[in-house]
Formats: sequence, C-alpha cells, structure tokens
Amino acid sequence: MLRSAFLIILAAVVVVVGSSVFVVDQTEQVIVTQFGQTKRVVTNPGLNFKLPFIQNTITLDRRVLDLETPSVEAITADQKRLVVDTFARYRIENALRYFQATGGSTLRGNQQLGTFMDAALRRVLGESTFLLVVKEDRAGLTAKIREQVNSEAAALGVKIVDIRIRRVDLPEQNSQAVFRRMQTERQREAAELRAQGTEISDRIKAQADRTVTVTRAEADRFSRETLGKGEAERTKLLADAYNRDAEFFAFYRSMQAYEQGLKSGDTRLVITPDSDFFRYLNSPTGPKNAKPQ
Amino acid sequence: MSNGPWQPRGQGPRNPNPWGGGPSGSGGGGGREPPDLEDILRRSQDKLRRVMPGGGGDGGGIAKLGVVGVAFLGLLAAIGWMLTGFYTVRPNEVGIERVFGKFVSITAPGLNWNWPYPVGRVNKPTIGVQTIEIGLRSGDGRRSTRDVREESLMLTGDENIVDVDFSVLWLVDARKPQDYVFNLRSPEATIKAVAESAMREVIGRREIQPILTGARLEIERAVQELMQKTLNEYGAGVIVQQVQMQKVDPPAEVIDAFRDVQAARADQERAQNEAQTYANRVIPEARGEASKITQRAEAERERMIADAKGEAARFISVLDEYKKAPEVTRQRLYLETIERIYGGMEKIILDQGKQGAGVVPFLPLNDMLKNRTNEQGKR
Repeated sequence: MLRSAFLIILAAVVVVVGSSVFVVDQTEQVIVTQFGQTKRVVTNPGLNFKLPFIQNTITLDRRVLDLETPSVEAITADQKRLVVDTFARYRIENALRYFQATGGSTLRGNQQLGTFMDAALRRVLGESTFLLVVKEDRAGLTAKIREQVNSEAAALGVKIVDIRIRRVDLPEQNSQAVFRRMQTERQREAAELRAQGTEISDRIKAQADRTVTVTRAEADRFSRETLGKGEAERTKLLADAYNRDAEFFAFYRSMQAYEQGLKSGDTRLVITPDSDFFRYLNSPTGPKNAKPQ
Repeated sequence: MSNGPWQPRGQGPRNPNPWGGGPSGSGGGGGREPPDLEDILRRSQDKLRRVMPGGGGDGGGIAKLGVVGVAFLGLLAAIGWMLTGFYTVRPNEVGIERVFGKFVSITAPGLNWNWPYPVGRVNKPTIGVQTIEIGLRSGDGRRSTRDVREESLMLTGDENIVDVDFSVLWLVDARKPQDYVFNLRSPEATIKAVAESAMREVIGRREIQPILTGARLEIERAVQELMQKTLNEYGAGVIVQQVQMQKVDPPAEVIDAFRDVQAARADQERAQNEAQTYANRVIPEARGEASKITQRAEAERERMIADAKGEAARFISVLDEYKKAPEVTRQRLYLETIERIYGGMEKIILDQGKQGAGVVPFLPLNDMLKNRTNEQGKR
C-alpha cells in the first residue's frame, strides 16, 4: 500500500517536472504562453522552465530562413520587359508578431513576404531602366527593394537579411530577338572583317605594285640620265678631238661615212670615170688638162 | 543472447559505431536516436533476472524487487543510456555538440562523448571542399552531363546573352563550423542561390566580348569576392574557395555566327598574308629588274665613253700623222677608202666622154629598181 503510494507520487513528480521543463535549441526561439496569452519569448538556448500545465510553448526558427519566389515579369521605366527571379533571406526577429501574423506557419509567412517582395520588385523595376537593372546599379536596386520589403515585413516580425536578384532575363520572344540581333551583329562583324581583309590585301598589293612601277621608272630615269651623260661625254670627247682640225675631220669623217654608208650589197654605182679616183684610169700621167677643174 | 554483463562497454571503443545508425551528417540538425535502446534495456533486464535471486516472474516483477533492486535497475539503465553517448568524428568532419539545445563545444576527429539523446545532440558537418555546379549537371557514370539552360544563360551589360557554366568550390569554415550548422536553414541552397546571383551580377556589368575572351579570371575573382561578402553577411560559416568558369560560350542559337567571326578573322589574316607574299615576291623582282636596267645603262655609258675616247684617240693619231704629210696622207686615205667601197660593189662605169647623153637611154633602170625592191621585200 505504502509502496504503491510512493509509486504514484513518483509518477506525479515525473509528470510535473516533465511539463515544467523545456529545451530551447540553438536554432530555435520559443514563445511561452499562458492560456493563450504570451508571457515571454526565450531565445537563449538551453534548458528552461515554465509553469507546468498552464503554460505552453510555441517553437519558431531562429535561423536565417530562405524565401524563393517565382519569377516575375516586370516592365521597366523604359518599357522593356524583364523576367526577374529574386530570393530573400530573412530572420524572425519578433517571434510574437510573426506568430500573430502567421500562426507560426512558415508557409504562410513566406506567402505574405512573397507578396511584399513581388510588389516592391515591380515598384522598383517600374521606376528604373533596363540598363540600371542589368548593368549599372543592381546592388542599389536590391537595396531599395530590401528597404521597401523590410518596412512592410516589420509587421510580420521579420527582418530581411538580404534580397538578391538571382536572374534577370528577357522574356522568351525577346530572347529570340536578342539572338537574332547577336547573329546579325556577328554577321556584320564577319563581313566587316572579311572586307577589311580584302582591303588590307588590296592595299598591300597596290603598294607593292606601286613600288614595282616606281622602282622600274626610277631605273629607267637613271638609265636615261646615264645614257645622256654618256652621250654628252662622248660628244665632248669627239668634239675636242675633231676640233683640232675641223677641215681634216670633215674629210676623214666623210671617208668613214662613205665606207659605212655605201656598203656592198645594197648599193649599185653608176659612175663616170672622170672622178679623181679614176684620174689614172685612162692615162698614166693623169689628165693634166683636166686638173684645173 | 548469453553475453557477458558489461559487454557494451568492452565493445564500445573498438567498434566505431556500436549502436548502429549514427547521428545524421552535415545536414541541419537531426538528433541521435539509437534504434536499439529498447533492445539494450531488454537485455539488461534479462541479466538482472539471472543475477537477482527469485527473479524471473512475469508482471509485477518490479514490485518484488524491492527498493534496492529498483535502484540497481535504474543505475544500470542509466549506464546503458550514457554509453550511447559515444560517437566518432571522421577525419574530414568536425563534431558540434549541443546539450539541451545549446551549443557547447566543437570536437576533433576521433572518438568523442556527448550526452545522448534526448539531452544532447551532435552534428558532424564535412569540412572538406565541396562543389556546387551551376548551369550543368555532371554525369556520374550512367547519366551524361547535361546543360541547364535556365541557369546558364545570362544577360550581359550590352544586352547580349552568354551561356556560362561554372562551379563553386566551398567549404565549411573550420574556425566557426557552428555558424554553418546553426545560422542557416538551408545552407547549400543558399550558397547556390548566392552563386547564381553573384555571377549574373558580375556578368551583367560587363560586355560580351571581354567575357568571351579575356576576362575569365577577373570574373571568377569578382564572383568569389561577392559571394564571400554576401555569405558573411548571412553568417553562413562558409568559405568560398574558388569559382571556376567551365564554359563561356555564346548561346547555341548564335554560336555558328560567332564561329564565323573567328573564321572571318582567319580569312582576313590569310588575305593579308597572301598579299604580303605577293608583295614579297614582286618587289624584289622589280628591284632586280631595276638594277639590271641601271647596270645596263651604266655599261652603255661607259661603252660610249670608251668608244668616243677610242675614236678621238684614233682621230688624233691619224691627225698627227696627217700633219706630217698632209698631201700624201689625204690622197692615201681617199684612195684606200674608195678602193674599199668600189671593191665590193656592183658598178657600171659610163664613159660619157665630152658628148655626154648617148648611152643613158640604154640603162636598164627598171630592172635595176625591180631587183632592188625584191631585195627589200625579202628583208
């Protein structure tokens, strides 16, 4: 009898202790409620105590949580369509408010956050240009989105750690247009390169041809000049020589010229034997009478 | 079932994992839950029955044991439970211990002990280098590598699209592995998301031509830095060791056009080389020809001068002699010359005498002229 009483008391102690002790994990935070009313939030990990039975605990995550939203097709201020895919990392900062807003369900929390993000994304993209989004100020834009979402997410008890644009793409039909443009750009480039090749080739060949012509012409000029100089020299030499006796030169040169000019074979002579050459043809003493002529 | 009394303890250190199913690995949590706890309890009860006199009855056994027996039983159960706290950390892992949910210590590879479930928990993340591939999924024997276009196609700053495959080598920061385990709910998904976002941001800032050609190293470094910065902001406890770009190509739709540009560049070079070859051939030829012409001219000039000198010298010599005996020399020259001329020539000598005329009409001038034209025609 005594023994079973002891056993009952032991069991009761175990139950009471079990109900007043709870563990807070390193990754968790716990809300302690009393009849549905929040008493406190425990964020220190370890063993904790509460009033048994009348107090309950609700466990929420304390880690950085992830939110992936489906991609959004948005229009930028310069009327370009973009498919933007963002993700966020957030932390439950105010467990109580988060629980009130979502009932502790991460799914619902993510849904609400997703709505905020979607709206903020469209707003910010709508105010900026394509070039800003893609190239120049992605970080600034994400900071702006983060700011906007953060102010709204405060109502959820959530602090956005980071929002990043994961992908910025063009919609499918625009991508096709970009591909076509890239293609034509490359075709243009290829054509240009080939044309430049022809240009360079032609230029090199033309330059070569020019060099050839000039070289030849230069050679010709030199040749003529040289020949001219030769001729001058020759003239001078001969003139110097001939000038020593112009009368003899005329005779001497005439003799040479006759010999050269009256070559055998193409000349027939019809001569009268009364020239000086034939002086002795008819008489050994010569025509004394003819002499004075 | 006839094991010795302290069998589990003896077996413990030798077998690295005597209680089967070790704690979960690198994932986010997962406590140790020895599946054969009941079995151990049952075994110790069996032994107890054998040790205790009069034991062995079913139901209400505890009531018969007495306080000492209960205490002994409890102690034994406690020892058995404590023994399940041993765990091993492999060389490429690090152990992270929690007691009542609170992080207490990091343990080195080897055999370690922590409070068993449900009081303690151990996580053992791998600290080796791990790889995340983006834009492709490597084959592993059976499956071939395939391209994931929605991950790999990205916009460049000049509104072109490139196809980039890359992988990220990362590892858990050995100085604070607890951050990796406790701070993020899905660390690997986060690393991947950050990697994609960073690469697109970096690519988006650049133009397509440098991306395709030279800027690879610079991009890799920029992505790595950006990733590291972002992950540090999350307190991810992760070190991004390296970002490797595997493939950087124009998209498949336009790759032919890009290759054609390469071909065109080669064509350009070829045309240039051909032209240069032509130039290299013609110009020296022309130079050779030119020097031929100039040499010929020089030669001609020298020949003319020499000729003239010779001629002049000859004339002067003759003149000198002539001056010594002008009459005779003149006569001689005249006669010799005419002799040579008349010597080799057809000639008709007409002695007209004083009366002249007479014979002229009989000269066959026509024949002579005809003969002459024939000769000209033959020439």
